[in-house]
Amino acid sequence: MRFWGLRVGMLIALLLAVSMLTFGAMNLLGDPLFNILGPIAGDTENPENIAKIQAAEEQYYLDRPLPERYVRWLGDFVTGDFGVRFSASGQPPVSEVIKERLPRTLALAGMGMAFTLAIGIPWGVWSGSRSETARDRLSTGVAFGFVAIPNFALAVVLYYVVGIRLNWLPFRFDAGAPFWQRMHQLVLPALTLALTGSAVYQRLLRTDMITTLQEDFILMARAKGLSRRHILLRHALRPSLFSVVTLFGINAGAIFGGALIVELVFGIPGVGSLFVESIFREDFPVVLALVMILTAGFVVMNFAVDILYSVIDPRVRQ
Amino acid sequence: MRLPAESQTNAPYVPVKARRLGLGFWLPMGWITLIVGVALLAPVLPLKDPTDYFIRSGERPPYPPSADHWFGTDQDARDMFSRIISGARVSLAVGFMSIAISFAVGGTLGMVAGLVRGWFDRLTSFLFLVLLSFPGLVLVILIIALIDRSVLTISVTLAVAGIAPVGRLARAATLSFAEREFVTAARTLGARNSRILFRELLPNVVIPMGALVLLGVAAAIVAEGGLAFLGLSLEKGVTWGKLIRNGAGTRVLRDSPWVAFGPITVMFLTIASLNYIGDYLRDFFNVREAGLER
Repeated sequence: MRFWGLRVGMLIALLLAVSMLTFGAMNLLGDPLFNILGPIAGDTENPENIAKIQAAEEQYYLDRPLPERYVRWLGDFVTGDFGVRFSASGQPPVSEVIKERLPRTLALAGMGMAFTLAIGIPWGVWSGSRSETARDRLSTGVAFGFVAIPNFALAVVLYYVVGIRLNWLPFRFDAGAPFWQRMHQLVLPALTLALTGSAVYQRLLRTDMITTLQEDFILMARAKGLSRRHILLRHALRPSLFSVVTLFGINAGAIFGGALIVELVFGIPGVGSLFVESIFREDFPVVLALVMILTAGFVVMNFAVDILYSVIDPRVRQ
Repeated sequence: MRLPAESQTNAPYVPVKARRLGLGFWLPMGWITLIVGVALLAPVLPLKDPTDYFIRSGERPPYPPSADHWFGTDQDARDMFSRIISGARVSLAVGFMSIAISFAVGGTLGMVAGLVRGWFDRLTSFLFLVLLSFPGLVLVILIIALIDRSVLTISVTLAVAGIAPVGRLARAATLSFAEREFVTAARTLGARNSRILFRELLPNVVIPMGALVLLGVAAAIVAEGGLAFLGLSLEKGVTWGKLIRNGAGTRVLRDSPWVAFGPITVMFLTIASLNYIGDYLRDFFNVREAGLER
């Protein structure tokens, strides 16, 4: 129990450090007042503008010292109030904007992860059980190619070949379409994310498989007359579970990062485009909220991976 | 059914390889040499001006590849071949610069932490942990949101994302060497920490880490391309990422795929070559043995 307490404490300390860093950087390097009001922010003569400036300062607590603003923001943030945008009206609130955009990115990333596992694991097992044949060498070469091609370039290639030329899958996202249609439109972008990831699984599982298949217990299983499929999936794959879980944790971050970019190629209005728009408009509350949500998701995901470790192998807890 | 032959012991199979660099090394090496050479020599090579508009009367650009324009032209009738080379200059510069900075900062921090231990080690380890807990792209976007975007600042930003992984490797490698006899011997002879760091540890850590430089360059070039797609790359000048993005619109892609596929091909070959040589060198120097996998 003490182990988990320590881990959770570490996790919270980490998120606090990240939030302080981000909050501090945004407020010290940017000029919040200017971002809210525009050019009139620097006006010291026109009484009307000065009144506006004072009102804004009060509304956004800009007249308070930085630590106090940070604590206020943090208190609001953990209760789900992400504040108001940096704009004259402040509407719609940040949480509304994110509630609209985030599900699309989550759906894309989730689908990407599912595809990654669905393609990568069988591919790795298949390759490893046929090591050093011509087919294995070909598939390893293909995997190397998928690892080397940047996700945005792969997105453009698939967009052109599978979408425009072959027209097998829809390649434009229509936010107004019914649910299943939208999911169908996410298949090609998710596949883009999955191909790179699955190639990484293939490389790792193949090496693992080659080692595992030389073990005595595999010989034993063969001697018992178990079927090839049974040996590969039940006996040979199990020792590799550890590395699969590790990879899943590492890969999750890459998939999220990739989703932000791939979204833009396929015109999906998700978090990626929101991020970029907010940066160009210097709408820092939105940027801050996105950084915190993505980072928290990433950290929690890695934490979940650590928990899975100790479920698979209790020795880790020591 | 065919499974690999059983071995007598449980030790993993280690192939005995002649320590010579084969064709698999020289082919990608040749491509890297070519692309770096062309990028360096671009000002003196007889290339078309990448900013010039080669409009033909009666025809609307983009023009397909021809003897005149080997990779075709873009929507503004600018020569893709010379644009890709001019993009190579910036992309490669960003790649090499950012990894140099990552290694200088992360490598120094990691090595010092591994040598002196104590509070400095704990502090740097926590710093690395904080840096690593950002998803890489988010960290980079966050910094870029706050600064002007030039070759230097983009390189520095991408370098920040590389500090933690490089630093951790340097620390692990240093730890594994700091316990060895030759370091103890140097210490017994009265060598100070700075001497041990530079004369004893650095030569040993540099070789295995060096194999990772090329992988880092590839990662930085890809990261820059990703930024370009987000519209967050350089404000001026062309990079491979910006060229690909320029050709990625539905209409341009459908009617004139060469605008995107020229830079995609060159970028892919470069990244694949860098990765391949990097992997090859890592196996060649047997980096695992040097304790980097800890």
